[in-house]
Amino acid sequence: MAVQDKFLDQVTALLPALRAFGRSLCGDPARADDLVQDTVLKAWTNREQFQSGSNLKAWLFTILRNCYYSELRHRKFEIEDPDGICAAQVAITPDHDAKLHLRDLSRALQHLPPDQREALILVCATGLSYEEAADVCQVAVGTIKSRIARARDRLVELLGEDAAQVTGVMPVTTSLTEPEKLAEQRTT
Amino acid sequence: MVMSEKIKPEGPDNDAAAVNPAEQVPDWLSNRLRRMFIEVMDEPVPEEFKVLLRQLEEKERGS
Repeated sequence: MAVQDKFLDQVTALLPALRAFGRSLCGDPARADDLVQDTVLKAWTNREQFQSGSNLKAWLFTILRNCYYSELRHRKFEIEDPDGICAAQVAITPDHDAKLHLRDLSRALQHLPPDQREALILVCATGLSYEEAADVCQVAVGTIKSRIARARDRLVELLGEDAAQVTGVMPVTTSLTEPEKLAEQRTT
Repeated sequence: MVMSEKIKPEGPDNDAAAVNPAEQVPDWLSNRLRRMFIEVMDEPVPEEFKVLLRQLEEKERGS
């Protein structure tokens, strides 16, 4: 009993991160919360399979990601919000520049292929290591790195003008670095 | 299945690319990604989640 309570306590503590990851993936707050609810239920049902002491956050992210792709397959005739209509509903009030930038980023993220988006979010926003992100996405570490590189290039392209206002320097759309090329060659 | 076997990274790519996130992604972008993430994390958790977790707790205690 105490072990199960502890499991629930840990899941509860990770709810904010799950909601943020879900929203980053689908760009729609309501849909993201549905994904999180499914994730919590599946985690609870399969809690015996979670190995105590391993990374619960990564395990829950894996479940959420699987829920997302499963839902995506069922929605195959629906479009992925290319105009950012859902993303625009993200609960960010554009009351100052910083929030406008976040809204722009949220929209831009929805223009990325899901696999690139999740790789970028997992490593750069959630703080997972490349190895943990690779486990979550069930791909090689090199694949995560090349997906991040492509996501970065696309976002720099999409946000370039905006980024220049922030940094004072127009970002250059970078191509894959030598290590990234190497990693990609080894995974393709 | 949700808990499917993990596919372990194959080959030597773990040491192939000596890059880290800070080198791969410019600061302005990674900072903004983190801010976007934290904004959502800072929102209060909706009541429906608390209800769901209470139900699961009660279910466990009742079994």
